[in-house]
Amino acid sequence: MTEDAVVVEKLAKHYPGDVLAVDEVSFQVERGQVFGFLGPNGAGKSTTIKILTTLALPTSGGARVGGFDVVSQAAEVRGIAGVALQEVGLDPLMKPLELLTLQGRLFGYARQQAAERATELLELVGLSDAAGRRVGTYSGGMRRRLDLAVALVHQPEILFLDEPTTGLDPASRRDLWREVRRLNRELGMTIFLTTQYLEEADELADVVAIIDRGVIAAQGSPAKLKASVGSESINLAFEDRAVAERASAQLDAMAESLQIDRDVVRLYLPKAAEMIPAVIGRLQGAQIEPLSLTLTQPTLDDVFLQVTGQRLQAAEGEAVPQA
Amino acid sequence: METIPQTTSLSHAPTNRPWLPKQVFLVVWRSLMTIFRTPEAILPPIGISIFFLVIYESTLGKASGFIPNLSGNSYLGFILPLSIVSASLSGAGIAAQNLVRDIESGYFDKLLLTPIHRAALLLGPIMAGALILGLQASIVVSIGLLLGLDPATGLPGLLAVVGLAVLLGSGFAGFTVSAALGSGSAAATQGASFIFFPLTFLAPTFVPLDLLDGWLKTAARINPITYVLEAMRQLLNSGWDAASIEKGVLACLLLAAAMYALAVFALRARTRRS
Repeated sequence: MTEDAVVVEKLAKHYPGDVLAVDEVSFQVERGQVFGFLGPNGAGKSTTIKILTTLALPTSGGARVGGFDVVSQAAEVRGIAGVALQEVGLDPLMKPLELLTLQGRLFGYARQQAAERATELLELVGLSDAAGRRVGTYSGGMRRRLDLAVALVHQPEILFLDEPTTGLDPASRRDLWREVRRLNRELGMTIFLTTQYLEEADELADVVAIIDRGVIAAQGSPAKLKASVGSESINLAFEDRAVAERASAQLDAMAESLQIDRDVVRLYLPKAAEMIPAVIGRLQGAQIEPLSLTLTQPTLDDVFLQVTGQRLQAAEGEAVPQA
Repeated sequence: METIPQTTSLSHAPTNRPWLPKQVFLVVWRSLMTIFRTPEAILPPIGISIFFLVIYESTLGKASGFIPNLSGNSYLGFILPLSIVSASLSGAGIAAQNLVRDIESGYFDKLLLTPIHRAALLLGPIMAGALILGLQASIVVSIGLLLGLDPATGLPGLLAVVGLAVLLGSGFAGFTVSAALGSGSAAATQGASFIFFPLTFLAPTFVPLDLLDGWLKTAARINPITYVLEAMRQLLNSGWDAASIEKGVLACLLLAAAMYALAVFALRARTRRS
């Protein structure tokens, strides 16, 4: 059981009508990691998650989850994987504890154990106050949280979340983020999440894979990905343009490129943070004092733009909005 | 929300899934719970069964003297089985509507992700529907008693009548559940439920089989409902007759066997990964 939590090898999925949803993707998710699968609608994220959670079959290639083959060992995969799909699957006529208890009992808990687990999970997702209400009366955010609790009933080692915050208001989104982080940090649960939100991937994921049109375009930690775009900059503000120009003459050799915008000098250079002392030293040597210094880092959106040639937000706009 | 409870650890995950009867019990219990939360789905069919019973009895009851083979027997005992069979049909419809709701809400997929036995997914709604229709049939029988029914075989005979209704209804349910699994749509399932409705009339519905002739008689002879109606009538009007009960039970079992085979096929198609 030392194998990575998820191992995907040349996984491809064709749908009838010559639609290629996933095109021979390969990647690994280490145990204990939060892995963010980032891409616009229709990029192949949901298809991948359905294959990994045994709900769909790959056309070619394969994948193992927790060391089990998703095609030939589906039951074993279901035993160790928890899944909350994009569309929640809850019976509106049932109350939350009934749902959670039934789920627990089907997974083999005794009545008492299942009931305790249900109460505990409802508390975990902050729905204890709504325990007496039928799920049909719940808001979208509450349903998502309950669906997450249902996915956790059998204490999965690996949790799959398909666009967990799509359609949620900012407050519910932050609640869910906090929950995901806690599951990961306090329980060591491996988390595989798909998202079309850059800030979500940036906020939660240890490793981000950018998928676009069925292909993985880039992969790495958010910091590493952003560093690879290389457009970090140190921004120095001076008293006036004359001082700014004197400063730029001093700093020109240190930067990859340099820009003067009225009284502000922007220095584009890799590893900008590490270069700050040298920049300050050079200015002090020339007896120039900056009024302020800020550091601008590239965003995942810049990364996305670089690897796919389009902005994620723009790509999103073209896609059909999710219900 | 601030602390994770102690028992939420990765080491306590259960390893044994419950055996099939336990799973079936759990899903039947859950189906019944949700059915009783939608009384609007079970009350109208009972009302309609009672309505027709009263109408048939008051409009045709007087004509019973003209039906030769019925001489000396009550028309109420003759027509009551029709109401009971109608109740069986509606019970089968309820089973399927429950399943469709699960498919539409996505809950069915959630169940598929548990180690649940596939048979429990079929038996859950079918058995819950059978229990509901047993209840409906009992209510219809009770109304019959209030209207003056005097069953030839007493209380045991009435129980046998309800038992036949449950058997027949669970056969119907096999069909409606297949439609639910095949279509995943409430409208299509509702439509499929109506297919059995004409069958109740291609039978010795209002007069005994001997009085039918031509194609209708042929249709009635191969219609399983015919044998169930006759067995029920025998029990209510004449007395215990092993041959007629055997035929009734056999008809139910044949129907159920065929419909369950269809349901298994439909379940396979629905749960097949693609």
